[in-house]
Amino acid sequence: MLARLVAAFCLFLPLAATPQPAAAQDTLTVFAAASLRNALDNVNKAFTKVSGAHVTASYAASSALAQQIAQGAPADVYLSANVKWMDYLQKQKLIQIATRVNLLGNSLVLIAPKASKLDHVTIKKGFDIAKLAGKYRIAVADTKAVPAGLYAKAALKSLGAWKAAESKLAQAENVRATLAYVARGETPLGIVYSTDAKVEPKVKVIGVFPDDSHPPIKYPVAAMKDAKSKAVTQYLQFLRTPEAKAIFEHYGFTFLLKPVS
Amino acid sequence: MLTVDIEKSFGEFSLHAAFNVAGGCTALFGPSGAGKTSIISMIAGLTRPDHGRIALDGEALFDSTTRTNVLVSRRHIGLVFQEGRLFPHLSVKHNLDYGRWMNGLTFDSAAFDHVTALLDIGHLLTRRPGRLSGGERQRVAIGRALLMQPRLLLLDEPLASLDAARKSEILPYLERLRDEARVPMIYVSHSPEEVKRIASRVVMLEAGRVVAVNGAELLAGV
Amino acid sequence: MLNLTPQDWTAVLLTLRIAVVATAVTLPFGIALATLLARKDFWGKALVEAIVYLPLVLPPVVTGYLLLITLGRKAPVGAFLDQHFGIVFSFRWTGAVISCGVMAFPLMVRAIRLSIEAIDRKLEDAAATLGANWFWCFVTVTLPLALPGIIAGAMLAFARALGEFGATITFVSNIPGETQTISAAIYTLTQVPGGDVAALHLVVVAVLISLAALVTSEWLARRATARLHGA
Repeated sequence: MLARLVAAFCLFLPLAATPQPAAAQDTLTVFAAASLRNALDNVNKAFTKVSGAHVTASYAASSALAQQIAQGAPADVYLSANVKWMDYLQKQKLIQIATRVNLLGNSLVLIAPKASKLDHVTIKKGFDIAKLAGKYRIAVADTKAVPAGLYAKAALKSLGAWKAAESKLAQAENVRATLAYVARGETPLGIVYSTDAKVEPKVKVIGVFPDDSHPPIKYPVAAMKDAKSKAVTQYLQFLRTPEAKAIFEHYGFTFLLKPVS
Repeated sequence: MLTVDIEKSFGEFSLHAAFNVAGGCTALFGPSGAGKTSIISMIAGLTRPDHGRIALDGEALFDSTTRTNVLVSRRHIGLVFQEGRLFPHLSVKHNLDYGRWMNGLTFDSAAFDHVTALLDIGHLLTRRPGRLSGGERQRVAIGRALLMQPRLLLLDEPLASLDAARKSEILPYLERLRDEARVPMIYVSHSPEEVKRIASRVVMLEAGRVVAVNGAELLAGV
Repeated sequence: MLNLTPQDWTAVLLTLRIAVVATAVTLPFGIALATLLARKDFWGKALVEAIVYLPLVLPPVVTGYLLLITLGRKAPVGAFLDQHFGIVFSFRWTGAVISCGVMAFPLMVRAIRLSIEAIDRKLEDAAATLGANWFWCFVTVTLPLALPGIIAGAMLAFARALGEFGATITFVSNIPGETQTISAAIYTLTQVPGGDVAALHLVVVAVLISLAALVTSEWLARRATARLHGA
């Protein structure tokens, strides 16, 4: 009996011994804001077709990614959803400053589950989101650190809705988790980017936050100082091509740069 | 008056016993493995016979034809186990009171004093079973069974786990018990000396069968 | 010395409250189930055992997700409770009590079951001959004798509930004041650049609480055992 157990266990040992894929095929590691998931996946696929280099993307809240990079995570490129976390890494001297550039823009929207009775909400000064939510909660990304949460807080503050809403928030780890709360019907309202609402069929946009209610949403990109991949420069260039621009715009992002072929 | 007529098979061993017990002290005598403890267990209700009937004072405790089987806790039959089985988390006094509590009887100080004097355990009341000697434990066990005012008292080899000195120390208490407690007793043992001293009737058991029933003279040749 | 913000203290008190309530609520069920598994054989017993011990084996996040799809606000059972009784678990500390309770339950049942199995059934037989029906026998003989095991089971469950993270954050997420326990607070702090110092303060608190729970548990168990044996 014991012999059989040992034999079965030995069958699994080769798994542990599998070597890491060799760097013969160059792999580029991108740390990107959660809101970029669908769009960047497609951009990365296109890049691989063009260059042959494989791209691995890690999506999470920009704040979490900055923390991981600061602690030594092996990223080659960092795409943040706000300027604050790129500044943080720049201060830590972790990026190649010459490569830093603001790539994309976005807008902030109010969403509800598809089946919600709410339909069209005008968002302007005096907007009472707490009343709209009733006894339920409003989904936002963590308002202390995650860009989508920071933008949401700024917007609600400037509209005079923050005080009443603060205790009714359901703060999620990143903007996609926020989206999931609304999609699942856990909360009747949520604040996400317009690009997030586009990819989730179970939610609908019921209002748009005016651009002047929050700091402009900018997605800076930069290469890391100790980037290992040889394809970094080529990748950053690819992000500015008309092909990449088309993909980003298809998902609803605004392209902030003049495209370079 | 207890009437017993039961059958039970335990794998290869089968038990088939029929006998009656009137007042006084009746011994269930036989070698180990004869089935004595099984019979006691069935009278108390802890084991269930396959067929037969057990009746006490006309009331059927077990009857396979009418599917009667009175719960152990309702039979009012005291049982003194070979190892005593005192409750370790209760004091001697609480052990003694246990049967009274469970049957909802009022405290009878005369009966209590009588039993504690009879068994000489009055000075042990505040102790815990863990602090008693083997002989003391058996005496408390007997007292505990008595104080629930049973209709019948079963003693299953109560001296078997004691050494010779303890045995001879307790036998006089058992004799006093037989003489003064007005409850019929069934005394199980494989020791002829004990049986000759205590019992007035003997039911002799061998390999699961009753082979003889008579007075203590049955043991003359043993 | 311990520089904790009001939010940190909220997390600490909330964690203690959730752990205490979770343990208190699961204890009667734990005792009942442990007794059933220890004493009775019945058809489907293996299935019941498997279900009870499942949270021990499943990844906590999986357990949390299963809770979410059954007790979430829009999920079958959750929607029913919301509509008919106004009971909601999502984003609420009561939901955290459930996830902590579920994760701690198998540990509790296991410890109590072992202690009940260790009780000499002959003592229960003796109690029966003395007139105790199954209920009184349980209350006066089985439970007192199983007490050290019950204490151990309860403390084990409490400790598990104190540290529960994966299932809780998946089921009721991370709402400060409602479901943000110490573990979740530390986790959030580690996700933010510059949050390490604050995280460390909470870590110290967590260690102190766990040590206190351990010491108390040892002391209680030893006292119970001593009382049992007449010391």
